[in-house]
Amino acid sequence: MVREGEGKVLPGVGVEVKQETEKVFTWPYLVRIEMIGMLLYLVGFSILSIFINAPLRNLANPEVTPNPAKAPWYFLGLQELLLHMHPALAGVLLPAGVLVGLASMPYFDRSRSGIGVYFSTANGKAIAIFSFIYTAVWEIALILIDEYLNVLGMPEGSHGLGPLLKFLLTPALGSQIAAFLAEVIMPIGFILLIPSLLVAIVKRVWKADMREIMVALYSFFFASFVVLTIVGSAFRGHSMALMWPWEVGHPEEPLQ
Amino acid sequence: MDGIWAKIKATNFFKSIYRNDYPDTPRSRVQVILNSVLLHLHPVKVPKSAVKFTYTWGLGGSSVLMFLILTITGVLLMFYYIPSIPQAYFSIKGLETNVTYGMFLRNMHRWTAHGMVLLVFLHMTRVFYTGSYKPPREFNWVIGVFLLLITFLLSFTGYLLPWDQLAFWAITVGSNMAGAVPPAEYVGKYVRFALLGGYEVGQSTLIRWYTLHVIALPLTAILAMAVHFWRIRKDGGISSPGESGDVKE
Ligand code: HEM
Repeated sequence: MVREGEGKVLPGVGVEVKQETEKVFTWPYLVRIEMIGMLLYLVGFSILSIFINAPLRNLANPEVTPNPAKAPWYFLGLQELLLHMHPALAGVLLPAGVLVGLASMPYFDRSRSGIGVYFSTANGKAIAIFSFIYTAVWEIALILIDEYLNVLGMPEGSHGLGPLLKFLLTPALGSQIAAFLAEVIMPIGFILLIPSLLVAIVKRVWKADMREIMVALYSFFFASFVVLTIVGSAFRGHSMALMWPWEVGHPEEPLQ
Repeated sequence: MDGIWAKIKATNFFKSIYRNDYPDTPRSRVQVILNSVLLHLHPVKVPKSAVKFTYTWGLGGSSVLMFLILTITGVLLMFYYIPSIPQAYFSIKGLETNVTYGMFLRNMHRWTAHGMVLLVFLHMTRVFYTGSYKPPREFNWVIGVFLLLITFLLSFTGYLLPWDQLAFWAITVGSNMAGAVPPAEYVGKYVRFALLGGYEVGQSTLIRWYTLHVIALPLTAILAMAVHFWRIRKDGGISSPGESGDVKE
């Protein structure tokens, strides 16, 4: 049996969890936080629900497509990616890869040092902030390029790196191979390049260990979710064109 | 007053409900946790560092609270909602206008659903930055990722149910995405068909997503949460700086 202040060896894993930590009684020290939190949330959400109504638009009508047709906010990051690459990549392979990547994280980062401390190491916080800014700059730049890059001769209304590549390669390779390179291979290249370069930088500048590399990679994921979701929800309006939030407005939809 | 209260506390009925005194001694503070079905999810004692609010920000617990509010308001909504086209839409409209507190009920369900997605995501972020996914908590992190997915799916399946334009087109966008599973002609096509119960978003889609939303996914979430909470205890309780000694493997 485990006595207070002694190590406890978890069955099967051979990992010793040292319990040198100072402890307090759950009642009242934790239970009171839970009770107060519960009250605050209940009051907060009640006030919200009194003043702001959940949206209910017109009856669903398969004949009338709203412009733009948007998914709920937490999928708008993925919907944003859809504008820049092949749907199989943006809508399936990438999210699946992210989930698998997240789940496998603890099987790569096995050291137990730095548990229980925000950012774990002296450089952790700086690495997290750097990674966030680095990611935001990359993604905003790529979004702007894709929106405004238009070379003379490109097909009417097309813009961005993918369509440019496709336009340039089609005469030599045929449209199918060109499209594959532009919509699948090039985006995969960026998806691998941006985090790899990030890891190389934090290794070089901060001599990052495994935990710090994970901090960089998670921050890359977190920043991507934040940046893409904000762009997708607040900066995409009619025809999913890039615009200022005050120009986005409600999806245009004829009255019924 | 004190006299009456003492008498109530002395009754067999009261004693049959509360087996111990008000928890203000070490002994009764241990007992209160062990004797209550809800409180016994907790350990008797927790690390002092873990009850510091800015350590967990209460995010995991807040996610549980969102799930509870969603379950209660969801059951109430089921009394009014008709999973059929086009009655689904009109049952929601009727709920808003003809049912006392109907609008409030729907709003609570909707806003806490958004709240849960956000809170679960932030909880994961807290767990990550405090290094709490490291051994021995690896597998609980994996269960967490699964819970994140279930949370997204719960929210997304609910989005279709009002059967308004917003719902219909969001689901069209979403299921087209799922239909892109490569190779789309061989796999994606069938994934989309399975999700929609046909080639288009229609009655069979509604009943599928309704069943997922009100029973299949909530049950899955409850199971996964049970394992999640159990594992927190089995992995040595919530993480704290005092334990970061090296692994003896
Ligand atoms: C429905 C969703 C979820 C619920 C209700 C939930 C609930 C909780 C609760 C109540 C705790 C106790 C500590 C705290 O409040 O922070 C906890 C801890 C934990 N959660 Fe979750 N969680 C959910 C999703 C997740 C996700 C998405 C992850 C990660 C991918 C995750 C990973 C963990 C881990 C590793 C711990 C142990 C943390 C520690 O020891 O410091 N959970 N969870």
